[in-house]
Amino acid sequence: MMKGGYTGKILRVNLTTKTVSRIDTEKYEEFGGGHGIGSAVFFDLVGDQLPFEAFDPRNLIIMMASPFSGTFMPGSGRCEVQGLGPMLYPIEWFGHSNFGGRFTAQMKFAGWDGIVVEGASDEPVWINVINDKVKIESAKGIWGMDTWDTQQEICRRVIPDQKFKFGEWAELSENCYTTQIPAVVCCGPAGENRSRLGALLHGPGSQAALCGFGGVFGSKKLKAISFIGSGDVPIADPQAFMDARLWFRKFQWNVDNPREAERFGKAGPYALISGRPSGGNVLNRELPLTPARAAACASCPRGCRMRLSTGDSNESVCAGTMVINVNGSVKFTRQGNDLMQRYGLGHWQLMPLMRYVATLHEKGILGKGKQLDTDLPLDLTGTFTYAEALMRQIATREGIGNDLAEGCARFAEKIGRYEEDVNSGELSLAWWGTAVHYDPVVEAEWGFASLLGERDLMLHMMSNYPLHWMAWSGDPYLTAEEAAKLYTDAMVPYQGDPFMVDHSDGPTGIYSDSKVKQVAWIKHYEKFWVGSGGFCGWRWPMCITNNTADRRGPTPEAEPKFWNAVTGNNLTFADYMELGHKIYTLDRSIWVLQGRHRNMEVFPDYIYDKPTRGEDMPMYIDGQWKYDTGAGRTLDREKFEDFKTRFYKFEGYNPENGYPTRDTLEKMNLGKVADALEKKGRLG
Amino acid sequence: MLDDKKTEEKDAAAKKGLTRRDFLLTGGTVAAGAVIAATPAKAAAPPSSVGEGKTYPASKGYLVYDSKKCTGCTTCMLACSLVHYGVQNPSRSRIQIIQDSFGKFPNDIKIAPCRQCKVPVCVQNCPVGAAFVDIENGNVRRIDSDKCIGCGTCLEMCPQQPHRPVWVEIDGEWKSSKCDLCIDTPFWNEKGGPGGKQACVEACPMMAIKFVSDMPEQKETEGYDVNLRNDHWINLGLVDDSEVVPKISLAWPTRPGGEGGEE
Repeated sequence: MMKGGYTGKILRVNLTTKTVSRIDTEKYEEFGGGHGIGSAVFFDLVGDQLPFEAFDPRNLIIMMASPFSGTFMPGSGRCEVQGLGPMLYPIEWFGHSNFGGRFTAQMKFAGWDGIVVEGASDEPVWINVINDKVKIESAKGIWGMDTWDTQQEICRRVIPDQKFKFGEWAELSENCYTTQIPAVVCCGPAGENRSRLGALLHGPGSQAALCGFGGVFGSKKLKAISFIGSGDVPIADPQAFMDARLWFRKFQWNVDNPREAERFGKAGPYALISGRPSGGNVLNRELPLTPARAAACASCPRGCRMRLSTGDSNESVCAGTMVINVNGSVKFTRQGNDLMQRYGLGHWQLMPLMRYVATLHEKGILGKGKQLDTDLPLDLTGTFTYAEALMRQIATREGIGNDLAEGCARFAEKIGRYEEDVNSGELSLAWWGTAVHYDPVVEAEWGFASLLGERDLMLHMMSNYPLHWMAWSGDPYLTAEEAAKLYTDAMVPYQGDPFMVDHSDGPTGIYSDSKVKQVAWIKHYEKFWVGSGGFCGWRWPMCITNNTADRRGPTPEAEPKFWNAVTGNNLTFADYMELGHKIYTLDRSIWVLQGRHRNMEVFPDYIYDKPTRGEDMPMYIDGQWKYDTGAGRTLDREKFEDFKTRFYKFEGYNPENGYPTRDTLEKMNLGKVADALEKKGRLG
Repeated sequence: MLDDKKTEEKDAAAKKGLTRRDFLLTGGTVAAGAVIAATPAKAAAPPSSVGEGKTYPASKGYLVYDSKKCTGCTTCMLACSLVHYGVQNPSRSRIQIIQDSFGKFPNDIKIAPCRQCKVPVCVQNCPVGAAFVDIENGNVRRIDSDKCIGCGTCLEMCPQQPHRPVWVEIDGEWKSSKCDLCIDTPFWNEKGGPGGKQACVEACPMMAIKFVSDMPEQKETEGYDVNLRNDHWINLGLVDDSEVVPKISLAWPTRPGGEGGEE
């Protein structure tokens, strides 16, 4: 019996039959929430039909909240989106992407733990959820709009002016009032035109950028989903939950009296990792500053975003403020990035694609009258005009945009250059059609965990931010030895092995059994706490922090403290990590049903062959811990293959093919998954 | 239910000891007629005259806030509903954060807690005395949910935008509630009220809400939007005036080894 955190029901909408039904959340409670429940629902509804394509009406869009959504659990405001991802390559893997904001909070207040959309509509529609009232509405007059106009128009349709009473209180139904505005997620023109770069947008800058789920919305003729509600999120132990929230304050950046303000308050890497508000928007750092507020997702104590007095680049962070660069103009740069958000183009794919277009142009392959003939104003590169033309063509599939909308990998394949350009690194893809991010040769766990997943890891609070950026600052608050010890102390159940974060290529380094454990820890934490808890990858895990005297972070104490207070469960951090293992194994089984084999889990040649510039990371060299870069290193093919063999064994998979074994699956109560794999001849 | 009921009808219903349900079932007609006959002058009086001329002891506590410091995380709203009702729900919160992600700073956020009015219109107009000044607890303006009949008068009459009483379901009945400065928090083991702690103040990660004992200036229907930022805030680069500049450079340094940038 579920005590707290859940509303008890998941919304199921079939766009082909235009019917609405419910799934009892309790049936899936063993998977936690968010990603875990989403994977289980996907397997149950369509697992036996795999493989099929992402734009097939059978594909699902699953958007799950977690028991934390709608509560004040710090940094739990994200919405997990799952389904077959048309951006992913060479197979449109069962993928996940997530976005921040208020969407899952309103989903919960409306009384839902998630939404599953299946089928495809014949006419453009949007889904309107007001508490328990669900309507599939015509998108006439909205289809074709950009993502900002779409959301604002839907807000007007959900709460017209006459619904307001007592000032800003909107009457949702008799006795049910809210001052909040509907939370809308939608695709833009890119998604409508089935671009594989199509993102989902919520608010002005919250993107689900990876996987191309905007294109899946478009293939279903689904423009948007809106939630607004006025109901309760039950809490099993309110007193414990309040106590936990106030206990957590000591790990926050104290905005009135920050610890060591001179050291951690200065510009550079500490702006990203210290927990300071507003550091995510990189476009407001030069004088004269534009007046702005730090803006947060629901329940986030950090507030890494900004809302500016000009309304430009509101709530965009990191890549959402960095893809478009207009020479000499911050204003046009902000508006160029906003245009990307309005077209609904995924930033993480647009960035390498723009670079690739420039590379092909420089090589004389792409341009007016060239082999790849285009009327793009390439002589105006670096201007708003060029950026606008390129994004418009991709979003509307106009001219060369029709091929570019297939995404980097498929575009390169179409023009016959994939093998050459990806293996050379000219087109810097690294795993499953997504761009290289952090160096897999030095920050090995990032690359390994991405390759053993289905897209870029995108989890900065793994050792990446705390260790890489701390070292980068030139003023690390922990020595390499202290960092390794403290960081790995928090990595329950593998705690006590500092070599998990040894980034050398020596015997205890990136090919070691310690690294196997670290990668497994990352996958398990990713699947349970981040994916199923709705955590932000910029907040969790917090193994170390500059905000406490002893530099210990709230991980691993905080996660179960909050989860148990909300849900009424009484499990340990290690118990929940084992659930993460189970969810990862289920995901992996779905990939195997789609065609995954260990032979596919290899990097492009350039990662094995091209010496790296290196990154400062803790390394254990000649019996000493130190920060070093590993510059000049390449990844050793044989050693990496041996690493994979040990990783598969560690996780309970067959090292010959990477398939989960029946024994492993049955121990996890996933016997029916073993049956499905066996039926396909792919049981490990 | 909360719209066109005449105040004299509610007043009369209350005097007769009617519940809100009785009131709605009869449309107030019978009850009103009965009371008008008994006390015509009182019943016929306009709404503002209820308690008119009466003075109220000033509250010994107020919540001031800084809407420019607020990030819109809504932690305060969820803390409020948690300590009072044991659940998390913005619609039950006695402090409201209203925001528009597409808006322009600083007009994208409005913070709306009760201001503990000098002349509390809710108390003045409550027909059953459910809204009251709590003399034993620092003169805080409160609503006794046991006495509230759910007529909605306080919600209608509140001059602030949005109206500060909150319409909540308590034991199956819809009633008004309002900020009590955390005097009565069944789900939080802390002493609240003046001299105690308030859940929203404690939970706000930006320290953008503050308890004060002295009554701030009350201008018409405005709240207490004040500046709670110090130099540490200015050094984040979140200026509200382009004349004010941080004392530190916010630009990223060049990366060791020559290459710049992040990500």
